[in-house]
Amino acid sequence: MLLGIDVGGTHTDAVLVGAEGLLAWAKAKTNRTDLLSSIREVLGRIVPEAGAGRISRLNLSTTLSTNAIVEGLTEPVGVFVVSGPGIDPAAYSIGEHYRVIPGCTDHRGRITSHLDLAAAREHAGACRRAGVSVYACVGKFSPRNTDFEETLKELVHPQADFVTLGHEFSGQLGFGRRVHTAAFNAAVWRVFNRFADAVQRCAVSLGMSARVNILKADGGTMPLSMSRMFPVESILSGPAASVMGIMAVCDIQEDSVILDIGGTTTDIALFADGAPLTSPEGAVISGRPTLVRALKTRSIGIGGDSAISLVDGQVRVGPRRLGPAMCEGGQTPTLTDALNVLGAADLGDTAASRRGLNELAAKHNTDGPTLAQDAALAAVTSIRAAVIDLTRSVNDRPVYTIYELLEGKRVTPKRVYVMGGPARAMSGLLAEAFPEEVFVPESYAVANAIGAALSRPTLSAELFADTQRGRMLIPGLDVEESVNGSYKLEQAEADAARHLRGYLEHLRIPDPDALVETVEAQSFNMVEDDMLVGRSIRVKCQIRPGVLPGYRKAVGCRC
Amino acid sequence: MLKARNSLGVVFFPAFDWAISPTHPERQERLLYTQDQLREEGLFDVAGIREYKPDLARVPDVDLAHFTFPDVEHVVTNSHLVSAGGAMRAARLVMEREAERAFALVRPPGHHAMSVVHGTRGFCTINIEAVMVEYLRERYGVRRIAIVDTDCHHGDGTQDIYWHDPDVLFISMHQDGRTIYPGTGFPYELGGPTAMGATCNIPLLPGTGDQGFLHMLDHVVMPLLERFKPEIVINSAGQDNHFSDPITNMAFSAQGYAELTRRLGAQIAVLEGGYSIQGALPYVNLGICLAMAGVDTSNVREPDFDPERVKQEKRITEYTESLADQLLEYFTAPPALPKHGRVEGEWFVRDKEIHYDTDSIFERQLEKVRMCGECGGTVVIESRAGSDPVCLAVRIPVGACPECVKKGHEVFELGQRSRNYRRAMLVDRPGKSVKRVLI
Repeated sequence: MLLGIDVGGTHTDAVLVGAEGLLAWAKAKTNRTDLLSSIREVLGRIVPEAGAGRISRLNLSTTLSTNAIVEGLTEPVGVFVVSGPGIDPAAYSIGEHYRVIPGCTDHRGRITSHLDLAAAREHAGACRRAGVSVYACVGKFSPRNTDFEETLKELVHPQADFVTLGHEFSGQLGFGRRVHTAAFNAAVWRVFNRFADAVQRCAVSLGMSARVNILKADGGTMPLSMSRMFPVESILSGPAASVMGIMAVCDIQEDSVILDIGGTTTDIALFADGAPLTSPEGAVISGRPTLVRALKTRSIGIGGDSAISLVDGQVRVGPRRLGPAMCEGGQTPTLTDALNVLGAADLGDTAASRRGLNELAAKHNTDGPTLAQDAALAAVTSIRAAVIDLTRSVNDRPVYTIYELLEGKRVTPKRVYVMGGPARAMSGLLAEAFPEEVFVPESYAVANAIGAALSRPTLSAELFADTQRGRMLIPGLDVEESVNGSYKLEQAEADAARHLRGYLEHLRIPDPDALVETVEAQSFNMVEDDMLVGRSIRVKCQIRPGVLPGYRKAVGCRC
Repeated sequence: MLKARNSLGVVFFPAFDWAISPTHPERQERLLYTQDQLREEGLFDVAGIREYKPDLARVPDVDLAHFTFPDVEHVVTNSHLVSAGGAMRAARLVMEREAERAFALVRPPGHHAMSVVHGTRGFCTINIEAVMVEYLRERYGVRRIAIVDTDCHHGDGTQDIYWHDPDVLFISMHQDGRTIYPGTGFPYELGGPTAMGATCNIPLLPGTGDQGFLHMLDHVVMPLLERFKPEIVINSAGQDNHFSDPITNMAFSAQGYAELTRRLGAQIAVLEGGYSIQGALPYVNLGICLAMAGVDTSNVREPDFDPERVKQEKRITEYTESLADQLLEYFTAPPALPKHGRVEGEWFVRDKEIHYDTDSIFERQLEKVRMCGECGGTVVIESRAGSDPVCLAVRIPVGACPECVKKGHEVFELGQRSRNYRRAMLVDRPGKSVKRVLI
């Protein structure tokens, strides 16, 4: 049996899934100052029911790292940055112990100016005196040559509890993102590890021997042991859990839109060819772009608690959220109240909803039902506009070959899946607004936790080979090998896939069903003075996010 | 986080699946390291800088800029339509105010492609700036346009297309034509009789560095722009003046390019040549993008940059300064008629020989412009490529006077009946029509 827990901003949801289907679920209010207590509460309700010994796996989606970063509850990090010429690295400055160390690596990974060890030692000394004990070392083009980062690690290691290096996250380029990712990772390392310890103790105390995995923003999981080294990868996993939930309960094959309508926002995600689309660059947190892989989602400020207002005769919904709906004791009429008035929902004190809409309507020479109708229409129109915009931006993404430009795949959604609190109430209105078919899956209320329970490991690897220099690297997997002049694209593709599988085994999460797909494979002839001098080969492969096929049938419902 | 002072759209299209030939400078690898550098620097994470994909130019877009023989489909491949479409996308970004500035970082380039196109010359088949300029005029009604070509090679194609156009100011700064391809671009090339001074050529000595370029920019280019008062300034941003370029002899640096871009302040830039793909392009393109966006560029330089090595010699500085003074005077008070050519009745006639180095085609032209005194004048070209039959091309320009419109149609009709030509093409801009006939 599989246990899934999604610790969200408001609620903590848990489900227990067996081969027979959804066996149990629990919902609790999230205690934001003590997430563990919320986890303990749902575990306490579900585990005794199932029997601790029968739970083989616990997948956990938690806002811990996200909250720590957003709320600044992290510890100071000593950041060593080797930039060389280019955009002024002051732009990425983070925290009070950020220092640029002279040295330069170029785009091919050639060292063009040596690392200034004296400057590095000086910064290490200053950090030590300031009591800093976690560090991030990041070099420009470090995925092409990891030397500077490794040297800095050796230097700072003796005084550190934890050192994180930029190239360990990804082979993807993006120096500023690498700086942010590594610095955040070091900053949440201690708080996350304390949390991980507590989760493990809690599981043990309940008699569980399940393997524990942590959810990531790309809809995949990583083992708890790995998350201890890469805690930043656990950020923003909540929306991903919801998307994976829909994927689990509905057998999505066609290009589709997922709408997760919450209290404050509606999150939009897209599926193409049966898999959720990932953002090509990485997640943004606290205004800083990172290399953390994430699903491509868009959030707009429309949800059940979004306030209704009239501006110049135009009815608006959101983006302000003014407390709960009037039917739940709030002061301002919201979208939920409008749905109550229209009879689409029957939530709480519906009389309060009617009163609120009528009062607001009277101020603007209209009546409650008309205002409710206009508000609901405004909400679905905005949602539809955002869906169109997101689809267009996906189809307009830059491509780099003539073939892709002329023949490239376009996403054309055929279905819209709706989940979240107001999903059922809004389905009729959405069906009118969208030309695509609209579905509300039956078990939508805990789909996020189902998504968490059934998610599988994801992993990606970027291989870079330069046959003139005789090097092949897969930075995220810590692979560096010599290659000779005859090394070709086909070998590189095979190597990338082999190392990716090998890494899964190393993590002791081998997944025989995992489909390793090559998403990019390019080989460029390098020419100097009219002579072919080598090849620059780039391969990217990944294990796509997916749900366990065996359980998918069990939780499937009519969609 | 960094923020752009001017919002910038970069239309980046490296055409990773297209080359003239495997080891040709115009090959798949050309913008690979530029892409690496821009990604690693996080250019598109700077608030206000966004990456776009190109539009696709269509045959009617090409027809406004070129007479193609036998026809567009035979001469032009999808790569050229994408590249021209990239320049058009840049124009659309600026005209529709999606971005204040735009840079078409695309290949293949275009500035050696002339008015008549039989094939590829100087790595160029169609002139992507010209296709864009005609798009600006046709779609957005822009009238006065300035093109500043900072490629190391004379932009002879762009010059040829706008030779008779008084509304397009073409300024080219380049390595002296006596020392490099295509061997033209001398100050006396000032435009046709109806557009004298709307073409300005600034030849620079081999070895000219940042100092010389910026001196010419400040003392010649900027005053010319000031006088012309264009509605829009376009930079043909070739990058082969770089000290590391393998096929040229100049000493310009990434810092110099960034500073030139900043001072010029062009709304649209279009990549042209530049073949030091590892040592120059990554840094020069970064410098140009940041400068266009108004972001600090003081830390942008080549890893091997040594100011002493690329310092301009004293004799070059002296030559540049004295030439600058003479040129501005010459350009602003040009002679009445071009140096080459002759008056035949109401027509000004010149003979031209054009060599297509890339495609090994030799073309002879007889080009006539009507000196009506009212407009740019209808242009008539008889062109013969190698031993192919003679082609007739007639262009009635934007804003043509009624007499020139009448004359253009007359020449086209007579030409078809004369049995002198195999193919004929008429571009009637006021009448918004393009005709092609096979006789």
